[in-house]
Amino acid sequence: MWALIATSIAMLSVMALALARALKAETVYDRILGVNMFGTKTALFIAVLGFLGGRPDFLDIAIVYALINFIGMIAVLRFFEYTASSESDNTEESSK
Amino acid sequence: MILDTLSAILLICGAFFSVTGAVGLFKFPDFFTRVHAASVTDSVVTLLIVAGLMLRTNFDLVTVKLFIMAVFLLLTGPTASHALAKSARHGGLLTLPESKASDEQSKERGS
Amino acid sequence: MSTHNNRSIIHIAIWGLVLAIFWVLLSGYFTPLLLSLGALSVVLVVALLWKMDSIDGQVPLLPLNLKFLRYDIWLLGQIFKSSIQVTKLVWSNTTTLQPVMVKLPIDHIPLKARVLYANSITLTPGTLSIDIDDEHLSVHALQNHSIMELASGDMARRASTLVKDGA
Repeated sequence: MWALIATSIAMLSVMALALARALKAETVYDRILGVNMFGTKTALFIAVLGFLGGRPDFLDIAIVYALINFIGMIAVLRFFEYTASSESDNTEESSK
Repeated sequence: MILDTLSAILLICGAFFSVTGAVGLFKFPDFFTRVHAASVTDSVVTLLIVAGLMLRTNFDLVTVKLFIMAVFLLLTGPTASHALAKSARHGGLLTLPESKASDEQSKERGS
Repeated sequence: MSTHNNRSIIHIAIWGLVLAIFWVLLSGYFTPLLLSLGALSVVLVVALLWKMDSIDGQVPLLPLNLKFLRYDIWLLGQIFKSSIQVTKLVWSNTTTLQPVMVKLPIDHIPLKARVLYANSITLTPGTLSIDIDDEHLSVHALQNHSIMELASGDMARRASTLVKDGA
């Protein structure tokens, strides 16, 4: 039981770090990277939480979360692949 | 009892690797290296934590669900990293050696 | 043409079976309502697959045999080995980090194996496949060492034998 608690605390802090990275990022891609990591860690965290509460039904939610996260990532990247170059130029210039 | 201990070891290892990935996300110098740090968490942490949770089930449908989840995450993780790196590359982001080279060039031009 | 039709019928049948098993495993209920809903969604997805197959005309199948399983186990070993390397790099001094980006030739690898190869590279921590065209695969790596390992061609050979025998 203590292992599950320790793991979920570690997952929560990792999720916080990933979100912090996404908020304080230099380029738009760093932001997407942080959000993606937050999403995959959330799916795993939901699974661990289900076992912690003795309700493995949570796994269904975790699977759906993982799938939606992936589809969302691809959708956002499709959008940014052709439009982000101008914005990343701007951020580079403003950081100089 | 043995299963519980083994599962605890796997879970703690998974937690350690995931913290490593998050620290790498802050410590590494440029975007492409940070993708590597995130990909550690994507593949190894998924494997370790799902394996750790599998040992805690009664080996029924829940185990299968965990397995399916691991397969999904292992298939989608690299695909997402690749899509991200590719679109960053096409968006004109430079890797560390390239940006160093272009910095030196612009310095030479400036002096 | 008829061989192609036969192959795609087998393909559709396999997918229908896989999806039905998938539904039963995920739901775990055997009431008439839920089973009929499952049958409905399997038919829907298979119909979509049928349409997609008749549009793009290619039936990609990865061989799911013992060889593939052995490749997976080998890949798991690689993943753990290189994650430990990347972990060491994260906790050491990262200012001395020297990432490299190279183009690996892939024209000797069969078309089907390229997907497997590039995905395996990305799945292994420390290496990341960025771009692919007909002749080259751009790979970004944290260390020169892991590029040398890829260039020795071990992973490429394993991936291509897998497809050659399965096709």
